[in-house]
Amino acid sequence: MADVDETLKRIESHKGVIGTILVNGDGIPVRTTLDNSTTSQYARLLRSFTALASSAVRDVDPQNDLTFVRIRSKKHEIMVAPENNNLLIVIQNPCE
Amino acid sequence: ENNDVTPQPLHQAGLGAEQANRFLVEELSAGSASDQTTFTGNFGKQFSFFVELLLPDEKWKKDLVKEQVTQALLKVMKDIFITETDTISLLEIAPAILLRTSPCFVYRERNKQYEEVCRKRISNEKYVDRAMQTLNEASKNKQIQNNLMLMVDAGLHVLFIVKKMKPNNYAETFVESSRSAERMCCFSQTFSLSVISSCSLKDVDAVRTGLNTQSDLELIRLSEKFQYSLLLMERSVLRNSFQCQLASYRQLPLVKPKEVEEGEGRTETSCSPALECLWRFSCELSIGCSVSCMAWNQKNPDLLAVGYGESDSRNQEPGLVCCWSIKNPRWPERIIHCDSAVTTLDFSANSPGQLAVGMCDGSIAVYNVQIHCFPILHIGPVWQLRWNKQELSFTGEEKVEALFSVGADGRICKWFIINGGLDCTDLMKLKRSNNTQRKTGQKPEKMAECGLSALTPGLCFDFHPIDSNIYLTGTWEGNIHKCSCSNSHQFLETYKKHFCPVNWITWCPFHPDVFLSCSSDSTIQLWKQDCPRPLLSFSSNHGEVCEVKWSPRQATVFGAVYNGHLEVWDLNSSFLDPVIVQPAAPGLKMTSFLFASLTDCVLVGDSYGQVTVYQMQNLRVGECRQVQHTNISDKCLNIWGLKGEVRSKLEFKLLKVLYFL
Repeated sequence: MADVDETLKRIESHKGVIGTILVNGDGIPVRTTLDNSTTSQYARLLRSFTALASSAVRDVDPQNDLTFVRIRSKKHEIMVAPENNNLLIVIQNPCE
Repeated sequence: ENNDVTPQPLHQAGLGAEQANRFLVEELSAGSASDQTTFTGNFGKQFSFFVELLLPDEKWKKDLVKEQVTQALLKVMKDIFITETDTISLLEIAPAILLRTSPCFVYRERNKQYEEVCRKRISNEKYVDRAMQTLNEASKNKQIQNNLMLMVDAGLHVLFIVKKMKPNNYAETFVESSRSAERMCCFSQTFSLSVISSCSLKDVDAVRTGLNTQSDLELIRLSEKFQYSLLLMERSVLRNSFQCQLASYRQLPLVKPKEVEEGEGRTETSCSPALECLWRFSCELSIGCSVSCMAWNQKNPDLLAVGYGESDSRNQEPGLVCCWSIKNPRWPERIIHCDSAVTTLDFSANSPGQLAVGMCDGSIAVYNVQIHCFPILHIGPVWQLRWNKQELSFTGEEKVEALFSVGADGRICKWFIINGGLDCTDLMKLKRSNNTQRKTGQKPEKMAECGLSALTPGLCFDFHPIDSNIYLTGTWEGNIHKCSCSNSHQFLETYKKHFCPVNWITWCPFHPDVFLSCSSDSTIQLWKQDCPRPLLSFSSNHGEVCEVKWSPRQATVFGAVYNGHLEVWDLNSSFLDPVIVQPAAPGLKMTSFLFASLTDCVLVGDSYGQVTVYQMQNLRVGECRQVQHTNISDKCLNIWGLKGEVRSKLEFKLLKVLYFL
């Protein structure tokens, strides 16, 4: 348990990381370091996006499963790690 | 009617406004104020007086100007008398006191008339309503200060009992939010409205599903998949930061988004071989501990085990072993705390999860790195000496792997796993040589202290890469013995050149007969197996050589680490000078180093607990030259095939070196 917290803290304090969001199975952010409106927006949008990606992977090969999604945009990179129904979202600005 | 009751003005309206202020200055007669008519008459008098005074303004000014011209007049002392005026009464109406008995009907009549007038006033045309303007003085702004009003957002404690809808309706969920931490979001407000609107009371069963965000967090945390996702996430985040360094480590071309690709251009600008620092492995746990040994995992080339501990210090500080991954330079994958300083470690080849750790107090522990690091076998100190330094190696001996160690008590032991513990058999006892020419000044004292007879501490050993029965060992005295596992009483051969303790010994991975040794006498010797004299000697005045290792990729390259710097030699280009010299950062001592097996990188550990990854650049292998073939070289090629990126020309070059003399 302590490891999990420590790892999360390390990720959050890493250079370039803008924020982290942990979303539970119902799409409700459970833990976040960003403000409310941004968090809800990210949670809502990325949840549907991840579901789409996961269904795409499964359609191609039913034994396959989605493990990680990275969206690289001009300004920063959004990384989503889905497991069960939860989502771990990290937004990072890689080049500073 | 002529009974006009409008009040008469106090002063004449004809005069200007600025003079209205002045009428109080002069004396006014007060006595006759009771009579209103005479009052105004007095005013008239006074005002006429004012007028006389004030009209000739220009004259006054001229007089004033004339007076000011002569400065002498200014200096004259003038007495000014200020007196109070008499009290001025502007209006005085004496009360009239009447007795009832007195003939007051006059006044009563007057009162009645007044009342009638008032009554008639409403309907009478004579009286007109008119607005009056009161005197409005100039408005002025006044600033006030007030305490800041604090606005506090209050969260909602909302708990809905939603009745279960029919299957085609959608709203089921709701939120119970809590205001405990700032990080928790309050979603109740937006949710509640939508839920209320769709709630209907015509349902059959009432289901209440409670979602507590706190318990959710706990559940998520405990799941293993989440920990795996965290691991992935951390690695991805780090990979973004270390993108360039990791790419050059893996020898991928660097893509720079804005500028032109400089991958090849760099070599043109600086032609000399150099080390470029890529990154450092360091975390808060390891800072301050000196790096004593490093080893790569046999199966996973990205996994590196680093042992920390000061083996020279007399006080036994606890040691540390960290397993680092290339993918995460900021935090080790596994951390093992040891009881005493770690002196040596090695990964097993057969079971790649096993890591054997040798410690300063003489104990050996074998850890299983895959499962969270519990020591599976641990034995107590076997050696009676107070200080020893060991080196372990796993060898594939008839496909059975065994753990070997050499200690300061002069024994080389082979370890077995019996009943959950380790048991050892002596493989060899390192006897002292009786060569009286040698001046190892410490020898007699050491013997007296030890109390053991004729055994010299062994500091290093290395198994032959092909014939795992044969091994070399270096001793405190400076001798190197070639031994065999099957013969535990005699040395096969002894190589004598060093006169100080031999710190490291290593076989060449590309040639079966060549090995290197380094010692505290600041020399490195290159030997061939059956030659009693070294082939080449590399000496410097820089102090003791801690370690020397062959490069796993290039046959003629080896590196040596001193306390103050790192040297990389390329026998192909020069015998006399190292190709690259990398000085240590000021204040740090380099203690250990390692070549990377798949890339051109060197890892250097220092006394501050950091492991720095350098990339070797411009280490050109050179052109090929015509050399004779020999039988030995053929055998080499047949036996090994091609190891790594060895080209046959390299073999020839090495032979050229060997037959130089």
